[in-house]
Amino acid sequence: MSVLSLQNISFSYGKTLVLQNISYEFEKGKMYCIIGRSGAGKTTLLSLLSGLAAADSGEILYNGKSIAKMDKYTFRSRYIGVVFQSFNLLTKYTAAENVILSMDVAGYKAKNKKQRALDLLYSVGLDEDEAQRRVLKLSGGQQQRVAIARALSYDPDIILADEPTGNLDTETQREIMGIFRRLADEGKCVILVSHSPEVASMCDERYQLVRPQPTKK
Amino acid sequence: MYILKNALRCISRAKARNILISIIVLVIAFSACIGLSIRQAAQSAKESTLEELTITASISYDRSSMMNDMRPDDSGREGMEFDRDRFADMMGASTALTLDEYKTYAKAQSVSDFYYTLTASFNGTDELLPVSDDSTETNETTDASASQGRQEPGGFGGGFPGQPAGGGMSSSDFSVIGYSSDSAMTAFIDGTASVTEGGAMFEEGTTERVCVISQELGIYNDLAVGDTITLTNPSLESETYNLTISGFYESTENNDFSMSEFGRNQDPANRILMSAAALELILDESADNSTTITDETTGTERDSTVTGAISATYVFPDSDSYYAFEDQVRALGLDDSYTVSSPDLTAFENSLTPLNTLSTTAGWFLIVILIIGAIILVVLNIFSVRERKYEVGVLTAMGMKKWKVALQFMCEILIVTMIAVSMGAALGAVSSVPVTNALLAGQVEKQTSQQAQREESFGRPDNMGGGFDPGAMSGMEGKIPDNNMGDTPRDTQNNPMEGKVSPFGEMLGGAADYVSEVNSAVNLTVLLQMMAIGLMLTLMASLSSILFIMRYDPLKILSNRD
Repeated sequence: MSVLSLQNISFSYGKTLVLQNISYEFEKGKMYCIIGRSGAGKTTLLSLLSGLAAADSGEILYNGKSIAKMDKYTFRSRYIGVVFQSFNLLTKYTAAENVILSMDVAGYKAKNKKQRALDLLYSVGLDEDEAQRRVLKLSGGQQQRVAIARALSYDPDIILADEPTGNLDTETQREIMGIFRRLADEGKCVILVSHSPEVASMCDERYQLVRPQPTKK
Repeated sequence: MYILKNALRCISRAKARNILISIIVLVIAFSACIGLSIRQAAQSAKESTLEELTITASISYDRSSMMNDMRPDDSGREGMEFDRDRFADMMGASTALTLDEYKTYAKAQSVSDFYYTLTASFNGTDELLPVSDDSTETNETTDASASQGRQEPGGFGGGFPGQPAGGGMSSSDFSVIGYSSDSAMTAFIDGTASVTEGGAMFEEGTTERVCVISQELGIYNDLAVGDTITLTNPSLESETYNLTISGFYESTENNDFSMSEFGRNQDPANRILMSAAALELILDESADNSTTITDETTGTERDSTVTGAISATYVFPDSDSYYAFEDQVRALGLDDSYTVSSPDLTAFENSLTPLNTLSTTAGWFLIVILIIGAIILVVLNIFSVRERKYEVGVLTAMGMKKWKVALQFMCEILIVTMIAVSMGAALGAVSSVPVTNALLAGQVEKQTSQQAQREESFGRPDNMGGGFDPGAMSGMEGKIPDNNMGDTPRDTQNNPMEGKVSPFGEMLGGAADYVSEVNSAVNLTVLLQMMAIGLMLTLMASLSSILFIMRYDPLKILSNRD
């Protein structure tokens, strides 16, 4: 059964139609890639999936329930983990603090949140010393790992990642993709948005996103 | 809980911004604390002193009101002039309240104590001469008429309430003052007068003809305790009364008296003190023996009876009782042509003038400071929120509700503001007393110099600002309101007014002693007000944050950053 389902989704910025009648299905335990050229609407689709924007028409169902009818804050903070292209971490916080705050916002119950944060950060490749550093003092790759750990902190069913390997070197790309693969294997639904064929090739399923042709009047 | 934790974290991670806000709030809080302290000091000074002040009042004939009634109307009719003869008749005949009437009004609920003095003029004999610096006068006993019971304001000086009617101009030898009770002997209570060793004050309320005379009078006439003195009716030399001396008194007031200006009986040395009950019996006896005397020069006839002037004083436990008194005496039948006045309260209010002026100024200063401070804080906060737009975007994208983000921002401002307000209040508490006193000294100096200027302009002391309105004193039957503050010993440790407070200006000079010093200003009320100011500033500053946060769309913020 699909954990996330897009049914005839259309979205436009003003008069510019960005997405037209998109219908995708996502299941747990699989890694998906939404590929397309720049401007194809990949990030817009990710915004719709994460509840940051609302579709003009169509429905997005989470476990069969329309997310439009759910509290968008609760949906974002509990059921879906988002790894933004530019990470969107709180730069004055440490890596661990970013993860802990995410748990706090989600209302996630953990005996020792700090230890869970350190464990998560360790699982994505950051040691304790790096976990205690402020985000600004971490490299791009390390920040990407913190963003992934944050997305995992409250144990959501779905992980969304926007261009997760965009600015990373090959080695780090490989490591990050390995993390996503592991998450999918652990039963998460991992949805990656990328224009990279390499990333797409590492995913179980791919959806090609094409920008609708402007109609002539 | 995590909101508060997050707020604390944000405060510690944005030190520069929060220090700047703290400094601004600190300055506002400090200024506000000083302003509030001044206002509180004025209020406390008024309340606590009023609580401790035994308020006395008297009933007097409203002369100015009567004069206004007797003025010609504005119809422009010719020949309508002020009727001086009628005025004199009315003042002479109908304005005096009898002792019974005074006693009736003393039954008013709010009166806690009532006392009166009865004053009459007598002459001496060859064995009892009044103290005088004029050797030619001492050997003659004048035959001037005794006071005729006209109830006029008393003479000058102070300490001994009750001067004979027509006091200042009377040429009889002695003033015999009868006291209804020990309470009436304010000079002895406040310590400006005391009975010397070897003698004793007559018993309270006694009808025996015993008296206490001044030490000077005793020395002047070579008298001792137990001696008998003889007083004569100034109008009828054959009418005599014998009094036994039970003691001598000395008074600091005597030293200040200038005999050249007043009649002999005005000299404190020539006062004879006794029980009012005994004096009343003497006056009754004089009335029983009255004869009609014809003036050889003018041919006018007059009664020989020695009459007394009454000075009645009502005592109240507090100011509220005093304010209730007027209604009560009206209900008991006091005519509208009489007024109730309390020189204590009037003079006390005058003494607070500089502090009240300062309090008003402080109030305006406070308002200006708060407005300017609030504007600065709001502007700073708007900049701060705009600067933290990205943070708002991230938090809301993570699923934190906007109102929670706003609450976190509000907590941050509240914590910073409250810390700064506390520091400002502490600094204000330390500095408020010296600052208040310094400002107060300026106000007192201003008031004093204004008064000096008036005196210079008048060429003599005036009766404005701090002095008594002579009109208000009319009909007080010679009562000289001495410094009644001295009647009630005040606990200066508990009194916020440490400085000398003498609400009664000098009778002639009108120079009031103003409240010139406070020793405590910040109390729980001020601290609560400071808290309220802190909360108000937080709310005002937060309001701008909330408005901005509620308007922000996380997607737009994060997209713009991308």
